[in-house]
Amino acid sequence: MAAKGKAGTKFTFYPGCSSQGSSLHLDESIRAVAPEIGLELEELDDWNCCGASVGRIGGGQLPNMTLTGRNLAKAQGQGKQDVVTACAACYLNTHGGNEKIKKDVKLRAGVNEALAEADLSYDDDLQVRHMCEVIVNDIGVDKIKSRVKNPLKGLKVAGYVGCQTVRPFAGTDDGGKYDTYEDPNFLDDFAEACGAEAVEFDVKTNCCGGSVAVMSPERTLHLIKRIVEAAVEAGADVISTPCPLCQTNVEMYQDAINKKYGTNHQIPVVFYSQLMAVAFGMDAKKDAALHRNTIRSEKLEAMAKK
Amino acid sequence: MTAPDAARKYDLGFARWVRDNVDGGDKLSMCMQCGVCSGSCPIGTQMDYGPRKLFMMIRAGMKEEVMTSNTMWSCTSCYRCVVRCPRGVPVTYILQDLAAKSVELGYANPNDNTRFSKSFWWSAKTWGRTDERLVTARYYFSFGLKEGMRRSLDNLKIAYCMIKAGRMHLGMPHKVKDKKGLQAILKKAAEIEQRESGS
Repeated sequence: MAAKGKAGTKFTFYPGCSSQGSSLHLDESIRAVAPEIGLELEELDDWNCCGASVGRIGGGQLPNMTLTGRNLAKAQGQGKQDVVTACAACYLNTHGGNEKIKKDVKLRAGVNEALAEADLSYDDDLQVRHMCEVIVNDIGVDKIKSRVKNPLKGLKVAGYVGCQTVRPFAGTDDGGKYDTYEDPNFLDDFAEACGAEAVEFDVKTNCCGGSVAVMSPERTLHLIKRIVEAAVEAGADVISTPCPLCQTNVEMYQDAINKKYGTNHQIPVVFYSQLMAVAFGMDAKKDAALHRNTIRSEKLEAMAKK
Repeated sequence: MTAPDAARKYDLGFARWVRDNVDGGDKLSMCMQCGVCSGSCPIGTQMDYGPRKLFMMIRAGMKEEVMTSNTMWSCTSCYRCVVRCPRGVPVTYILQDLAAKSVELGYANPNDNTRFSKSFWWSAKTWGRTDERLVTARYYFSFGLKEGMRRSLDNLKIAYCMIKAGRMHLGMPHKVKDKKGLQAILKKAAEIEQRESGS
């Protein structure tokens, strides 16, 4: 692991499919703030889908694992540096797949036999990491603080961590090495480093419903309702999250919740990196991508540089 | 049928099969039936049986009931049970693999998850990437034309907001450059899997 706060730390960056769609604003703001905090991101060449949580069912175990194998083979071609992704599902699959492929000889042989069809192979010992873990362990909150030119004074932020960013690798060497499972504080630390106020938010690791919320929203609306209401009760102006699916689910289903429960919620859900871009005095549109939130935060937009 | 049946003998064959064939199944013997998993599950109340009960049913050899239950299909992959299990049972991983096995062995009827997974995989293998628009549309219309239209109309406002925010693009899907290579890799992987399962 690189030394804390080391400038110009280079990573192979895996953006993932949502970076070109529903989470374009995560991608844009991450790419904007990364150089500011000393992260050099080199995009993974011709990356493909990670398989998410349903690829295993749709395509079978080995084909699904081979998706990760192809990405790792491509990363291997780009050097020994760690691979980093800002997407929870990409992290889950690529980190988990990488550790499995490294340890399971039979699986690795199968993946490589398939990869040979495109003259690729993976036999390296790469590390796949989550952007938040890199920021906590390699960069440090002080580095964020040092870049703040435009403190988010008076902005109340509910840090909504969700599930797959911290939990999936519990019980392994790679599980939870940057925060706790039940009460992680890194999002609060990020918000406060940006000059905002982190509110008490006791549902920070509740599930938004994940892909079940996409396929069967009627089964999970009550989960999102609880998250939204806890943020409102805590007096938050915005909910901040690191996860693409959490951001989209909690944002886009508020109308359905209002319709079903007769409520009137309209709380913005932003990515931590959007908060950083605003606090760093960067452009509201180009860097913070605030125009991409379907529920917009007037308070945050008023603070942002136009 | 899950009522206790005193006349029914425990059949350890299924538990052994799970131990040897299901991802994480070798840890199932660690389960001490405390129920932390079921109590921690965000939509456990919508499951036919919570994970605790399902695991006991595996031990009791209730293969049919386990493999046709909606339990695995209700898992949101939140991993709360995994971090809380005092015995280190990888509950989420076991459920995910049981779901896959229930499809492979022909137990699962089409459900929201199998339909969505199919549509998702179509995009992954065709384009190398997930096209959220097409995955959703294919999923909606997998229920038939009428239901597809209903779901599409229900979500029209969301789609409009996403397009307006630039988070849903119009035009061709994003794709990998080496589509041919990716497709050859996935085809080969499916062949290998077929070969290995036959041996």
